[in-house]
Amino acid sequence: MTKKATHVLLIEDNPGDADLVRLRLVEGKSAAEVNCVNRLSDGLESLKQSSPSVILLDLNLPDSQGAETFRRVREKAPDVPIVILSGQDDEALAMKALHQGVQDYLVKGAISSNSLDRAMRYAVERQALLRSLEMLRKQQLEFKNQFLSHVSHELRTPLTCIHQFTTILLDGLAGEVGPEQRDHLKTILKSVNQLGAMVRDLLEASRAESGKIRIEPRCVVIGDLLRQAVAMMQPIAHEKEIGLEVGVDTRIPFVHGDPGRILEVLINLIENAIKFTPQGGAVTVQASLVPTDPDFVYVAVTDSGCGIVPEARALIFERLYQDPNAVDNSRKGLGLGLFIAKELVNLHGGRIWVASEVGNGSTFSFTLPLYSLAKLLFPVITHQDRMRDSLVLVKVVLRPLVSPVRANWKETCQRCLEILERCVYLDKDLVLPPISASGAEETFPVVASTDLDRANIMMARIREQLEKVAGLNGAGKLEVSASAVPVPARGPDQSLEAQVQEVARVVGEMVATVPGGKQDSPQQK
Amino acid sequence: MANTKIMIVDDDPDLRQALRLRLRANDYDTVNAGDGYTAIATAYKERPDLIILDLGLPAGDGFVVLDRLQKDDKLSAIPVIVLTARDPQSSEQRALQAGATAFFQKPADNAELLEVIRATLPRAATGTGLPS
Repeated sequence: MTKKATHVLLIEDNPGDADLVRLRLVEGKSAAEVNCVNRLSDGLESLKQSSPSVILLDLNLPDSQGAETFRRVREKAPDVPIVILSGQDDEALAMKALHQGVQDYLVKGAISSNSLDRAMRYAVERQALLRSLEMLRKQQLEFKNQFLSHVSHELRTPLTCIHQFTTILLDGLAGEVGPEQRDHLKTILKSVNQLGAMVRDLLEASRAESGKIRIEPRCVVIGDLLRQAVAMMQPIAHEKEIGLEVGVDTRIPFVHGDPGRILEVLINLIENAIKFTPQGGAVTVQASLVPTDPDFVYVAVTDSGCGIVPEARALIFERLYQDPNAVDNSRKGLGLGLFIAKELVNLHGGRIWVASEVGNGSTFSFTLPLYSLAKLLFPVITHQDRMRDSLVLVKVVLRPLVSPVRANWKETCQRCLEILERCVYLDKDLVLPPISASGAEETFPVVASTDLDRANIMMARIREQLEKVAGLNGAGKLEVSASAVPVPARGPDQSLEAQVQEVARVVGEMVATVPGGKQDSPQQK
Repeated sequence: MANTKIMIVDDDPDLRQALRLRLRANDYDTVNAGDGYTAIATAYKERPDLIILDLGLPAGDGFVVLDRLQKDDKLSAIPVIVLTARDPQSSEQRALQAGATAFFQKPADNAELLEVIRATLPRAATGTGLPS
């Protein structure tokens, strides 16, 4: 390596020990510049200024003791090699530090200029080696991503060709097709679709592994997503004569999440449940609240299938895991589905787990954070320590005219949101996060601290401004409506916070009942 | 509907043929281009009502084609549906921002593609905003 002077940061509070180390460094062959401090805080400060070649570290300092000392130094300077100066009585601790990234240790009193010199040089070399290993690892991950991205692109072209010509034959565009031929073609089509899903999973899993999946969280009605997922999976369930049902606790407020990604998780879990449930079985999808964990919604997919053995339960969310006891062994898939589901749930700040009994089915559960309406509403609907007199909920619904929408719909919605925010008073009105219903319909709820009469003026303004949005002409249909929010009287012992909570609950219910106008049978538990 | 002309831009001749069969079965006339340069030249000559555009193309990729179409007064009104094997996470936003009206990843669902074509066409035919 370089023959420049070694810059040594010596963190040692005992002046005698410090002097001894200095002396040994001077005796040594390599030119060393020593910066000696006697407190951890001074050491950390020095690391902020400049990066030494090596740190010589005493673990027991006036302002930090033991393992904590090297943890904090490492945190500050992860790339600088550390050699611990240990007393005879704490060699065990020094050994432990070795396993946590410290390069070497020297026992004070047994330090020769040779051993110190060598320890420092080797520490520097090893650290450099580690760094290049880490770089190599990152490069390989990146290479793997690019490779998979390229492969999946290349696979898609022939895949598309098979898909296209199979459907051309199936649809009779190339002449009459007999019933048996039709059956065979359908089998081809099914396999091609499976292949397509695998190619997609491959890329997705590789992305998840390197932390490259993006989520765009927003305000979501979880019930809508559950119903959408179940509707999409119903044909497959039907084919296997499996009952697929959905149950949503109507008290659930909004969920903070990426609707597309949550749908992906749901579909994945439901698909698995159907796969491992025998003909005539049942799969239920439920969303509920758990009183002991008030910040999350609990989603559960329960099947009446074969169940999962305990050993497998621990491994099931790992990449490439496949159940060796799976009944339906013919089409195993890549074993990436649950891994992707886990990554997606984790990205949302939730967790995912499985409960199962062999022969008695399984329940896959995951949590998603709730959107705290009360927190959002508080500064807007209270004034000088009391609730404002009247509140109105204005609902702006934007419906696409063409279905399915693929064009610039998202951008149109975003533009509408921006304009909407300019139509309200910032200190007493609040545009809530938009709600994406099934389909592409968007609801922008606005809570306004005003009465219905004055809300009408606001609504006229909103209509006028939004109709003007280029692209809305012909792209979507606008609906604006308003209803008063009943403000419950504040109880004698009730805090303002509790009152706001109550109003937030009411607002939540009022908004959640909008999309599609559907109501579930309540499932109070 | 009989005279509605759709231009298919894809470098894979088999895919062009498949798409041509599919569109003809739905009473659309088709013209073809296998690379970016030909796509722009054909767009000038044929003035299609709609373009189905692949992104990975020789002689000027799909984004170059989108850019050229956008910058040309005579062609900028033609709606473009992107149909590509590329990944939506890396390409969808970029394509829409470059002026595409819709984005499909291959293999696309035929019914969905045809519906978007139908929904996009009248605006092109009249050349003005769609009377709802």
